[in-house]
Amino acid sequence: MVQINLPKNSKVQKGKFYKDKTGSKNIRKVNIYRWDPSSGENPRIDTYEVDMDNCPSKVLDLLNKIKNEIDPSIAYRRSCAHGVCGSCAMNMDGKNGLACTKPHKEIKGDINIYPLPHLKVQKDLIGDLSTLYKQYESVEPWLKVSKKNGGKENLQSIEDRSKLDGLYECIMCACCSTSCPSYWWNGDKYLGPAVLLQAYRWIIDSRDEDRKERLKKVADELKLYRCHTIMNCTNACPKGLNPAKAIASIKKMLATG
Amino acid sequence: MRENNPLSPHIQIYNWHISSLVSICHRITGIINIIIITFICLWLTFLLLGSSNYELIQKFLLTYFGKFIIIGTIWSFSFQILSEIRHLFWDMGLGFELKTANITGLLVIFGSFIATIAIFILGRGLI
Repeated sequence: MVQINLPKNSKVQKGKFYKDKTGSKNIRKVNIYRWDPSSGENPRIDTYEVDMDNCPSKVLDLLNKIKNEIDPSIAYRRSCAHGVCGSCAMNMDGKNGLACTKPHKEIKGDINIYPLPHLKVQKDLIGDLSTLYKQYESVEPWLKVSKKNGGKENLQSIEDRSKLDGLYECIMCACCSTSCPSYWWNGDKYLGPAVLLQAYRWIIDSRDEDRKERLKKVADELKLYRCHTIMNCTNACPKGLNPAKAIASIKKMLATG
Repeated sequence: MRENNPLSPHIQIYNWHISSLVSICHRITGIINIIIITFICLWLTFLLLGSSNYELIQKFLLTYFGKFIIIGTIWSFSFQILSEIRHLFWDMGLGFELKTANITGLLVIFGSFIATIAIFILGRGLI
């Protein structure tokens, strides 16, 4: 259901202020969403003054700098730092993206960093994505073939292979799904852009023999048709993919048979 | 996962994009249009009931508030129709590229205002 306001325990409070100690003249304020599960308090926004003269270019570098030099208690996910693993997906400056590929120069004014929207927060910038992973599992994201090919390769024409371009690149960072208002209000039933893009990736694969079943399974008022083409997903995707188009392609396949 | 984990902020912090703005306006104008159509039906019923009833509505529509309602109605329908045309193209699988979607979104927004002015002036000329 649509619930515009945050629940009582999620209201964000003003937090601590960490004043710059380096005496640098090139200072930026960074506001970060904090929540400590052991404190029993509401989430808060901590403000850090960061010396930008000695900070590399991306938002993740900024976070690392804060964690290393100012406040080691801050928690966030990160791994590859090259936009491949999708761990550091978060909301920066009001838009979802990967902290490791987003230059902080692109952000004007204070830098606001929140966890991915409308998730149960585990700690600070870490949201709980288990619902999304369960939904991903429900579309059975693996190749289904009946006959054994005698250990040979399962061949595909260049044309058929090109249909997977713009789909296989998805890293499941959840930037798109958590940017989608429909997914906010109906996240328990609506599959969301990330999972639907994956569903389409297997539907359109020429080697897969389960296309009809897959389409039947996804053709549901709530699972698929909660997409109202708001297009926040395509706007958010850090890999430049187009989940909205993939969803529309599924709808079109269902309509035209 | 414990029950007391907070929900991360969503609509409070998320930026508006052209397409999300057009999408929410599409819904709002849709609801407004249903209400307006109901009133237009009532208006027609009033016509059948005699001239005094007609004059009552006529007087209301000539007030500033009445004119606001008329112009609002024209805008609401213009917006809904233009946005619906955009949706029809989407249903054919066209216009999903970010750049195209932004341009068509802007066309809907500005087009609806231009259409409102054009229809209002044209309508006045006809009357």
